[in-house]
Amino acid sequence: MKGDISLCCRDLERYLGEAEERVHALRGVSLDVETGSLHAVVGPSGCGKSTLLYILGLLDVPDAGSVEIGSTLVAGLRDEELARRRNQLIGFIFQFHFLMEEFTAQENVMIPMRRLGQLSEEEMGERAANLLEAVDLGDKLRRQSRHLSGGEQQRVAIARALANDPQVILADEPTGNLDTNNSQRAFELLANIVREREKALLLVTHNRFIADSCDWVHEMQDGRIIASHPHGERISV
Amino acid sequence: MTAPFYIALRFATHRKRALLLSLVGVVFGVGIFICTQAQTQGFAQFFINSTIGSNGALIVRSRFQPRYEGLVIPTKNVSALPARRNYFEGIHNVSEIMRVSRQFSNVVACSPVLRGNVSARSGFETTNVELFGIDPPSHLRTTDLAKQIIDGKFDDFVNNTSAVIIGYRLAEQLEVGCGDSIQLLSPGGEYWRFVVAAIARSGVGTIDSTRVYAQTRVAQRLLKKPYEASMIIYKLRDPYRAPALATHFETLFQHLSQSWQEREESTLQLFIMLRLSVAVTVSLMILLAGFGIFNVLTMSVLSKVREIAILRSMGYRRIDISAIFLWQGALIATVGSLIGCILGGLLTWIVSKVPIHIRGLLYTNHFLVVWDWRHYLGATVLAVVAVFIASYVPARRAAQLQPVDTLRGSSL
Repeated sequence: MKGDISLCCRDLERYLGEAEERVHALRGVSLDVETGSLHAVVGPSGCGKSTLLYILGLLDVPDAGSVEIGSTLVAGLRDEELARRRNQLIGFIFQFHFLMEEFTAQENVMIPMRRLGQLSEEEMGERAANLLEAVDLGDKLRRQSRHLSGGEQQRVAIARALANDPQVILADEPTGNLDTNNSQRAFELLANIVREREKALLLVTHNRFIADSCDWVHEMQDGRIIASHPHGERISV
Repeated sequence: MTAPFYIALRFATHRKRALLLSLVGVVFGVGIFICTQAQTQGFAQFFINSTIGSNGALIVRSRFQPRYEGLVIPTKNVSALPARRNYFEGIHNVSEIMRVSRQFSNVVACSPVLRGNVSARSGFETTNVELFGIDPPSHLRTTDLAKQIIDGKFDDFVNNTSAVIIGYRLAEQLEVGCGDSIQLLSPGGEYWRFVVAAIARSGVGTIDSTRVYAQTRVAQRLLKKPYEASMIIYKLRDPYRAPALATHFETLFQHLSQSWQEREESTLQLFIMLRLSVAVTVSLMILLAGFGIFNVLTMSVLSKVREIAILRSMGYRRIDISAIFLWQGALIATVGSLIGCILGGLLTWIVSKVPIHIRGLLYTNHFLVVWDWRHYLGATVLAVVAVFIASYVPARRAAQLQPVDTLRGSSL
């Protein structure tokens, strides 16, 4: 339901590296992402944006603090359980699409569904086709992913992130590798899906236009969120 | 189809060249393993069949004196060396021993034999031979002598007390054929003349170059023996249970009993060593193939680092990631073993048709092979183990990859 908190973290601390090279990547970061909302995290390189994203996506474990998805606390879970939650609750989109080149567009979208194992082969195929239709790739279902353009590949990655109907979508510079037109198109597509299907989106971006289009923009610096702006307010970065 | 298996199948078939290279190693390893085992065991089995066919699976020989050890009071401060057995030459109660022996389910037939060493002469050729005085009907039931005859007739031997059957190499040595006469020197110093009724070939060199068969009563007279049998030879339903039966007979009859395994121990050990040596050599080939698979899968893991990271981000567990690479290994092992078994069968068949001329320990004109399902099972197990070990390390490495490290490196 719109307004509910889909993703929440409190006082996250994370150190990266060993001994003298140790970096304090996150310093007490707290954040709430509501259902149906788009949140952007901006900041200079190395400020901890991606680290925050990976912790929220259960790919990394914080040294201190807590993460909640829906209303479930996910701290201290075993690797197997974290994997199950990632599969069911989270959809990832990366700057580089990371599609499997051996697979067609449709098969790529079916990969998370196969892990979930709740649908038959036909049902998975049908669902993947619908998702690809939603990102305007309905005519390229059976095309090998390596034969798609950069923009198309990123749209397949968006469809794949939605494969298991996750509550939360985490995107790490999803348009960073696309030209302006494709960036805008991919973002609009993502924004529409999030709003229509009531997902929560947290994206890391350097793109001013995309950040401005989100409901919230969080500015990060040196591992801290130094400011959070609702839609329409000017960003200082 | 599980998700890891599906992905493994796609990964493996996508890299056709690497898959083919891995398969070739396993296929040839398995194929050659099967063929060499069939071949080495073929020679061993031929020897075993031939020696059992000529000398029986079990032999009961001279009587020995019971030691009654239970009655002896042990003396202090004296090292108790086991006393040597006293043997009495010959078997005097042949009929009784044979009657009791036939009660055993493993005994198919038995036959008395009077054995002695004499000198044989023909023209200017003289050689030492082993004379077997046999009872033709029971000897036929116990051995393969009738099948071993390559020239002449067994009936001519049965119907003529002065007839003998001789080994084919002995015939070559004495330069005699069927109908020719040979002379055997008795212990008394006189030569006895015999007609060669038939020539036999057992396939075992030592038998074919020394064996002379005569009828028991004639042999008894010639050898001047007071008894009509120096041993009883047995044909068994399961020759591989001969050692147990020999032990039992020894206790029961108080006569020395020897299984074919004990009798031919040194030759059998030679065959076992040969088989082991070949098996080790060919196993190295399979291990080499495993090393190739290790390389291919390690390269696959290295080239799939990003895919592994994205699979992990999509909720695939560590165990799923390692399963993807283990399934690839399993696929190679299964397909490789299957084709390898077919190749092994084909190679074995081809080798069995290759002509060779062996006239030493064995007599054969072509390679001897054995068709044994255990060779196929052994080769498959070996291949599966080698491939599993080869796949395990890359699979484990893949599972331990930290997705964050890969994703961070790609996105910053």
